[in-house]
Amino acid sequence: MSSKEDKPVEQSQSSWKDFIYNPRNGEFIGRTARSWALILLFYLIFYGFLAGLFSLTMWVMLQTLDDYTPKYRDRISNPGLVIRPKAPEIIFNRSAPSEYKEYTDHLEAFLSKYNSEHQKNNIDCTPGAYFIQDNQPLPKQVCKFERSLLGQCSGITDQTFGYSEGRPCIIVKMNRIIGLKPKPTPFINCTAKKDDKLSVNYFPENATFDSMYFPYYGKLAHDGYVQPLVAVKLLLNSSDFNKKLSVECKIEGSNLLNNDDRDKFLGRVAFQVTVTE
Amino acid sequence: MGRDTNGEMDAKIKKKKKVKKKEMLEGMKKEMEIDDHELTIEELEMKYSTSTTKGMSSTLAAQVLERDGANELKPPKGTPEYVKFARQLAGGLQCLMWVAAVICFIAFGIQFAQEDLTSYDNLYLAITLIAVVVVTGCFGYYQEFKSTNIIASFKNLVPQKATVFRDGQKSEINANQLVVGDLVEIKGGDRVPADVRIITAQGCKVDNSSLTGESEPQSKGPECTHENPLETRNIAFFSTTCLEGIATGIIINTGDRTIIGRIASLASGVGNEKTPIAIEIEHFVDIIAGLAIFFGATFFVVAMVIGYQFLKAMIFFMAIVVAYVPEGLLATVTVCLSLTAKRLAKKNCVVKNLEAVETLGSTSVICSDKTGTLTQNRMTVSHLWFDNHIHSADTTEDQSGNFDQSSETWRALGRIAGLCNRAVFKPGQEEIPVPKREVIGDASETALLKFTELTIGNVIDYRGRFKKICEVPFNSTNKFQLSIHELEDPLDLRYLLVMKGAPERILERCSTIMIKGQELPLDEQWKEAFQTAYMDLGSLGERVLGFCHIFMNEKEYPRGYNFDTDQMNFPTSGLCFAGLISMIDPPRATVPDAVMKCRTAGIRVIMVTGDHPITAKAIAANVGIISEGSETVEDIATRLRIPVEQVNRGDARACVINGGQLKDMTSDELDDALRAHPEMVFARTSPQQKLIIVESCQRLGSIVAVTGDGVNDSPALKKADIGIAMGIAGSDAAKNAADMILLDDNFASIVTGVEQGRLIFDNLKKSIAYTLTKNIPELTPYLIYITVSVPLPLGCITILFIELATDIFPSVSLAYEKAESDIMHLKPRNPKRDRLVNEALAVYSYFQIGAIQSFAGFTDYFTAMAQEGWLPLLCVGLRSQWENPHNQEVQDSYGQEWTYSQRLYQEYTCYTVFFVSIEICQISDVLIRKTRRLSVFQQGFFRNKVLVTAIVFQLLLGNFLCYCPGMPNIFNFMPIRVQWWFVPVPFGILIFVYDEIRKLGVRRHPGSWWDKELYY
Repeated sequence: MSSKEDKPVEQSQSSWKDFIYNPRNGEFIGRTARSWALILLFYLIFYGFLAGLFSLTMWVMLQTLDDYTPKYRDRISNPGLVIRPKAPEIIFNRSAPSEYKEYTDHLEAFLSKYNSEHQKNNIDCTPGAYFIQDNQPLPKQVCKFERSLLGQCSGITDQTFGYSEGRPCIIVKMNRIIGLKPKPTPFINCTAKKDDKLSVNYFPENATFDSMYFPYYGKLAHDGYVQPLVAVKLLLNSSDFNKKLSVECKIEGSNLLNNDDRDKFLGRVAFQVTVTE
Repeated sequence: MGRDTNGEMDAKIKKKKKVKKKEMLEGMKKEMEIDDHELTIEELEMKYSTSTTKGMSSTLAAQVLERDGANELKPPKGTPEYVKFARQLAGGLQCLMWVAAVICFIAFGIQFAQEDLTSYDNLYLAITLIAVVVVTGCFGYYQEFKSTNIIASFKNLVPQKATVFRDGQKSEINANQLVVGDLVEIKGGDRVPADVRIITAQGCKVDNSSLTGESEPQSKGPECTHENPLETRNIAFFSTTCLEGIATGIIINTGDRTIIGRIASLASGVGNEKTPIAIEIEHFVDIIAGLAIFFGATFFVVAMVIGYQFLKAMIFFMAIVVAYVPEGLLATVTVCLSLTAKRLAKKNCVVKNLEAVETLGSTSVICSDKTGTLTQNRMTVSHLWFDNHIHSADTTEDQSGNFDQSSETWRALGRIAGLCNRAVFKPGQEEIPVPKREVIGDASETALLKFTELTIGNVIDYRGRFKKICEVPFNSTNKFQLSIHELEDPLDLRYLLVMKGAPERILERCSTIMIKGQELPLDEQWKEAFQTAYMDLGSLGERVLGFCHIFMNEKEYPRGYNFDTDQMNFPTSGLCFAGLISMIDPPRATVPDAVMKCRTAGIRVIMVTGDHPITAKAIAANVGIISEGSETVEDIATRLRIPVEQVNRGDARACVINGGQLKDMTSDELDDALRAHPEMVFARTSPQQKLIIVESCQRLGSIVAVTGDGVNDSPALKKADIGIAMGIAGSDAAKNAADMILLDDNFASIVTGVEQGRLIFDNLKKSIAYTLTKNIPELTPYLIYITVSVPLPLGCITILFIELATDIFPSVSLAYEKAESDIMHLKPRNPKRDRLVNEALAVYSYFQIGAIQSFAGFTDYFTAMAQEGWLPLLCVGLRSQWENPHNQEVQDSYGQEWTYSQRLYQEYTCYTVFFVSIEICQISDVLIRKTRRLSVFQQGFFRNKVLVTAIVFQLLLGNFLCYCPGMPNIFNFMPIRVQWWFVPVPFGILIFVYDEIRKLGVRRHPGSWWDKELYY
């Protein structure tokens, strides 16, 4: 009995080694070299064929796609809103330039696309009407959006975008969606959450995204497209300093959704501002 | 390393088992410490403070009852219910799921601690895993509970009565109220109520078969004939039956302290062996776990190389390991097994343990009882010899057919058989067909009674017409029984003496023989004819009785003559020989066919019986256990007229070993004998020897099924891989020890069980292959997500829906698949080679079909992404942006900007699309899994209606998940575009075509490289 019981231990040890390399029949991990070669060749062919089939179907699928517009746009029927500077919470001391430099640099960099020298080829369009170019040749023309339209928030007159006086500018941008035609002209309305009273200045003054900037024809067709912007200057008083201010900007006055339950950024954007003295 | 420790553990466990078993065997072999049989009556009365005339006093009896407890076998300490339930939660697959759940909790914990909680997937997964284990556990427990109930319902609910003397009063009380010292009376037909020391006896015969397996009645008397209590004549044992006569005795042991009680309690000491299917599932879990860890580790390294943080890589590792766990498999296996169990129950096999369903299919040796299982368990007249001719009687269950009854000799023979017979039917059975009626009397008298009832008519009435004057009952010295009757015709005043007994003794007493109604002198020629017939019948293993009679002259023996049975003042020689009648316990009609089926199925049927070797051999030959033309060593010796020692043992296919020989054999010799002779019969074996035979078969690598009914069989039943108890004749102890119960006690039902067991093994293989396949398309999205950083193509909840909702029904439906070939013509599977899940199955499912499914999924995924604006090349490396909840303006390939929420719904679309791809491919998969070798067209596309229903169900459920409102936010299913259902279709067709090619190659070129690599 006892000899039998000792055996399995030895056996399993040797079988381990044998499994890695068995010198008796030249098996390496259970197969001979020839067997390995055959099976690897088989899988090479097998996966080669599969990869070929995959590439073929992908190629066929890509052929059916249009270069200029995606096949479906129903996942993004409504645009999201985002703000610049890109931060969920804006905190700075108005008398410490180093604290808000990050924001102003960001705004400057963002707005540099809107400099006149970048918009030489852009044309002046008719405000209040869609700039339809469905049958126009490529590339589609772009409507000019001058940086100066943003007035005090353009950074031309006030390089600190109002941050030094504690009345910061926030730029609201609407996501690009191909073919989107808001109806009628939407405008931005920013309010303080809770009961805080908040007075703001909008630039352009009517706070609208003008219809002439719509529709968008896509990256390839509409190269150099500039999105319309609305700048919001928060007119904070000394009583508003040193506390957290929750602001929500909504797109209003149009068919665009701004109250989706699940998507908190669809047609609206919320952010917090804390300015210290 | 892991293997080494495992090996050591196994060895230790084995050692422990061995020790335990040894103790048990020792225990069984130990002399029973009883000396009551050697005491005198007076000593006995002293010892138990009782009286052999008046019995005990009621008060004392009550006290003893208080002390010893009721006189009944305590049901073996059943496993507590919570242990049974816990066992359901601790199988191989279950353990895998537990480990996976723990890993999920750890991963969730890490994420939680890191505040990196983007989703609760890990928590949900852990909870689901646990829920699956618990739910299937409840299911399995319920199944077991149900079959236990069926078995319990068979228990004899009628309390047994016993006649007892107390305070000098004879009364009848429930047998469980008996106590040590009680004076009891036992008469023919009673069950001995406890171990009893016989005080007085008159012609008392006891059937000890429930104790020793020997069916020969043993006479009991007051004298001590042997020092061994088991051999002595003056002790009758609990649970044996008194066949005839009457006896009184004093109870010396009650309840569990009786001999039978001790054997029953010993049975619980034999450890339960692991079922073959449990071993297979463990083997399979090893494969899964190995692959999971291999993949997990590989991608852990890859993730570290790519530059993920250690903890992040660790979470990836865990997720991969968990993704490898086939969540749905446990449910599939449980349901498949219980479906078969249900099917078996319809065919009279009740399975106590679900896993035992398959064991029967793997069985390679059946050790079968003779009495009751192979035979009808009742002596039946099979042959008659009269007019120098052997007539066969019908021995089928209903005894309908018959033989030529016109001869005058038959009338004489029938008259003797009817009159010289003390057996009577129990009253109130007029409605029951004769063969099924209960009789008081020993087996051969019963057989004769039934036979004459069927041939002559109402025997009791017949006996009434021939008024019995006196009789001499059978005893072992003169070996005959006679009775003297008046004749039917009142005018004929002669007396008729009828006699039956051992044929040679009867012949000695005869001087004439009746041939065709004529009395002829019994000369040498007739004596030779008698000898030939006697030998012929004896060699058939039949019990032969001779019959003779004489009409006594009314002058010498006038009416009123005082016949004295002691003096024998009447002729007992010079009689007229009428004929021979032979009896046998005939095989059940269905058995020869069933044995034949076993034989073609490569299963050895070994007969193990307590009966005589000759009878055993005859029955074995009759039912085909010893096939036609097979000879034993002894047969060859007689044929060649050479001594037994000179016979080449290899020439003898058959072998009959009796208990005495077995006792002297070492286990190696027994192994050799089992190896050398394919057809084995063990006769005159004791219960312990049955255990030894089972062990020997198991040593030879066989999977052994054992049938049994008596308490004495329970150790062997427990030791066997599958113990099969008889539902009707079986004792509770046997039923408790068994894994399966034959409700009709019919050997043929075992064959059905074998067939179903084999089928379920084949079909489980298919189900598992089907279930495993989708593991790969569930895993690859995650691997690609980690390595190429695409948005996640398939979510965790979606995977759970595939595993536990849509794919369960199809995988279970494969259990309804018909066998591909005649599985009853194949050899039993070799438990070492033919695994449930072999390498080929895993590799083919994972790396071939699974790979195709993955490609299908990714094709559909990239299609859905591209058509919504995200071209494949953009997707690569997109992950960090895509998953950033603070980024509301991620640009697609067309310059559009997406909020986080919009991207999330797009991701859910991808999940759904991937889900649909897997579903479409799995439909193809379930179709190819219908067969492993045959073409699906040969098997029949729509033959399995359940499978067709399952596919329809799967599609409907898939559609429901996709298009039911509210799904996106609850279960992350999106209403996807119709064309995305069709993107994976080419891949589905590819799967089908490829598998047909594989099967074609396997069929056309057996043994080729293709066959070896691709046949699973």
